[in-house]
Amino acid sequence: MLAFSAPNFVLVQGVFYGLGYGLLALGLVLVYRTNRVLNFAQGQIGVIAAVFLVKLTADFKFNYWFALVISVGIAAFAGALSELVLRRLFNRPRVLVMVATIGLSYVLLALATLPFISPHNTSQPEPVPFDLSFHLGPFIITSTEVLTLIVAPLVTLALVLAVRLTSWGLAMRAMSENADSARLSGVWIRRTSTITWTVAGALSAFTAILNAPNQTSALTQALYPDLLLYALTAALLGAMVNLTVAFVAGVGVGVGLELLQWNVASPAKQQFIVFLAVMAVLFIRVGALRRGTRVGERSTWGHGAATTVRASTDPLRRRVSAVGVWLCILVPALLPLILSVGNDVLMSQICIYAVVALSLTMLTGWAGQVSLGQFGLVAVGALVAVHLGTSLPLPVVMLYGGAVTALVAIIVGLPALRMPGLFLAVTTLAFGIFMQSAVLATPCITIPGIDKTICTGLPNPAYTVVNRPSLLGISLASQRSFAWFSLGVLVLSVLMLKVWRDKGIARRLVAVRDNEFGAAAMGIPILRTKLLAFALSGFVAGYAGVCFAFATQQLNNTDLTFDPTTSFVIISMIVIGGLGSISGAILGALYLEGLPAIFGSNATIQFLTSGLGLIAFILYLPGGLAEVLHRSGDLVTIGLRSVLHRDASHPAEPKSPTAALVAEGAER
Amino acid sequence: MSDHHPAHLTVYGVTVRFGGVHALNGVTFSAEPGSIVGLIGANGSGKTTTLDVISGLVRPQAGTVMLDGVDLGEYLPEERLGVGMVRSFQDCRLYPELTVTDVLLLSEDARREVAVLSTTLRLPWARRSERRKLEAVDEVIAAFGLERFRQHRTGELSTGTRRVVDLASIVLARPRLLLLDEPTAGIAQREAEAFIPLLRRIHDVADTTIVLVEHDVPLVFELCSTVIVMELGQVVAVGPPDQVRADPKALAAYLGASDEALLASGPVAEDGGRSGGSEGA
Repeated sequence: MLAFSAPNFVLVQGVFYGLGYGLLALGLVLVYRTNRVLNFAQGQIGVIAAVFLVKLTADFKFNYWFALVISVGIAAFAGALSELVLRRLFNRPRVLVMVATIGLSYVLLALATLPFISPHNTSQPEPVPFDLSFHLGPFIITSTEVLTLIVAPLVTLALVLAVRLTSWGLAMRAMSENADSARLSGVWIRRTSTITWTVAGALSAFTAILNAPNQTSALTQALYPDLLLYALTAALLGAMVNLTVAFVAGVGVGVGLELLQWNVASPAKQQFIVFLAVMAVLFIRVGALRRGTRVGERSTWGHGAATTVRASTDPLRRRVSAVGVWLCILVPALLPLILSVGNDVLMSQICIYAVVALSLTMLTGWAGQVSLGQFGLVAVGALVAVHLGTSLPLPVVMLYGGAVTALVAIIVGLPALRMPGLFLAVTTLAFGIFMQSAVLATPCITIPGIDKTICTGLPNPAYTVVNRPSLLGISLASQRSFAWFSLGVLVLSVLMLKVWRDKGIARRLVAVRDNEFGAAAMGIPILRTKLLAFALSGFVAGYAGVCFAFATQQLNNTDLTFDPTTSFVIISMIVIGGLGSISGAILGALYLEGLPAIFGSNATIQFLTSGLGLIAFILYLPGGLAEVLHRSGDLVTIGLRSVLHRDASHPAEPKSPTAALVAEGAER
Repeated sequence: MSDHHPAHLTVYGVTVRFGGVHALNGVTFSAEPGSIVGLIGANGSGKTTTLDVISGLVRPQAGTVMLDGVDLGEYLPEERLGVGMVRSFQDCRLYPELTVTDVLLLSEDARREVAVLSTTLRLPWARRSERRKLEAVDEVIAAFGLERFRQHRTGELSTGTRRVVDLASIVLARPRLLLLDEPTAGIAQREAEAFIPLLRRIHDVADTTIVLVEHDVPLVFELCSTVIVMELGQVVAVGPPDQVRADPKALAAYLGASDEALLASGPVAEDGGRSGGSEGA
């Protein structure tokens, strides 16, 4: 171990970065306090302002200060606009709103590349208000740093005072305690929340503009999970309520990270420490976070998300469903015979993504625990496949990979035992980043105390070849046979999840999600049920990971495969498909993996369709694609019935049981 | 269960102080096995605190709670389920996303946990266990007239129906002592009347001792075999309904000077407690 040292310039640099995290954390806390939304688009709103500032000063030759005012104004407007779009979702399950903000961040990212916002020359350096630079150690202090040092604390102070003293602040605090009561006492909750988002937009603009000169180009500030993670950590330290603590914590996070990078050489170790620190923060603040949650919102849920599609009792409708299910198995089963090799690969990929989506359906859809690191779990399974390879029969490798991943999932899920499920998003995000940049990237590590070396990572992080095994004597080396194998895995997974859904596992998970205290009073073991959700989800994600490794045949940690944003795609799949629905997970995988592969690869169009599509789905199709499927089943049934000229039997009017008892009592 | 029998509850000299306030002051009563005991009294007289002490949520400074002669002093609230004590709560939130059948199955799960591995592999004993649970649930659904709502999510039921589901799930938990906290709160007067046969049925089907706190005085007098009147944390009258009705102290404590309130079909008016259901008053 190196000796710990903290040179001045490292501290100074940490403070500068930290001020940025602090401002971002302020926006997160504000929005969370007002609407109980973890806003994953918080960083993106400001990027528009940063990009536009370059355009105004470089292309239009505007005065810096004038351009600054316009840019911040645009970000504030973008914030207000976001609120207007997302407003209808605020009383829906928290998970949905959070995923909608992920969609929003994709839309904003695409917006920032549009010609009327982005400058002609995208590699333009960020403008500076006045020329100034002097050295502090090897670190050059420029006007932006000076500006940051002045502006950030002033903005924070103004905000804290505004929350304490203005009528908006009072309304916001009332809303965060009890929105319904606030509304009945005459608080305009809509206006209040619009103002909050406007302020958050402006804050985000400050963050992006002040941070931009550190980046090579403003556009590289794409959805950047690390930045978000640091800001979220700071916001959590403020228990998602306290603005001052969140801001100071942001500065602390900045300094801590710089010290970490100065003192710890290997990025893997840095990531490991970051992951541990995020877990620690959650454990420290868990009490405050619980207290800060409105009673009715202890769960990530609320009404309106279907877990189980009610089985129809109508025999014709059932037959329609059965035919549909068989078609969905037989058609894909015959597909590999006619598909090209490339499409066989695509089919395997969609099937495996669908299995991963199923694992998240269980965890997020049923148990209400939000995971943004599901692909980290897939990575664990993939590593098992890499290390065991073809030495054991494939089913054994899959079971083993599932079991190992289940254990890892339980550890990752530990903070969820005492915490509302939404905040798990933060630890799982940290886990995803940790898996990608630490575990996968390091072939072997030596445990310091006992001098033992364990090799868990990819043997060659840049390019590791995985050979496909054979199953029951049939080689899976050809893409066609692997497509069949993947379909088989998917069908088995669906059957397994159906058993879990219908035969007692799902009802336990849902009960604990919806009413923890009630379930405990009923005698349902809460802790065991929560851990069960993680274990089962990890198991499914683990064997999906084994299949994933064999499907791609080569793994590396550098491309986007194990990037945390892949986990965002997975959670988008289950939301688009219909949260909690089994068929929805498959449809979501088809939609998000299949469509882009079939239609074009233009990045802008892809971002726009996925982001806008995601928001549109959440806004207008709350039941997702699964509901569309269900309704079309209904339509087919109605059509068939009119063709068959059968009389529809009208069920009698429902009668309340107490009314029945009144009638009974009257007879006595 | 062969050893199932209604429990005998004894509350002796229970005293609870919140700060300097005597919430309960030497409360003593007993509920015979199989009896229905009703606690009535004005707001703040200590009815709900008494239930809290019995179910272990509040620790008394003095006094004991005994079930069949066993002192429950050291039992945690969650352990009291194990000795057959079940409590219903006023709010009755249930689980909005679960169907009625699932809610009832869940209360069966608490006693026969779903084994993950054998369920996944659909082993015969797992199937048998699930089938038995369904049979028990079907029985209760029939007994409570819930057939129509079998596949409805509890979130979409009316408050009254949800309460019936709550009571049905309590019956499945095979209570030996059932604590009911205002079972008719938030229910229309007409439906509240229907609770008398309903609670009688629970009493018969579950074969249990019942202690209930209730504002609806006519309901208590109609239903209970013993009525306890509380005032300022003390028991002022105990006895069968007829005896309490004639007791001037009890009348003064809760019913007012006349017994007109008793005859009125509406809930007894009192400061803000039940202003919602005043249609018949």
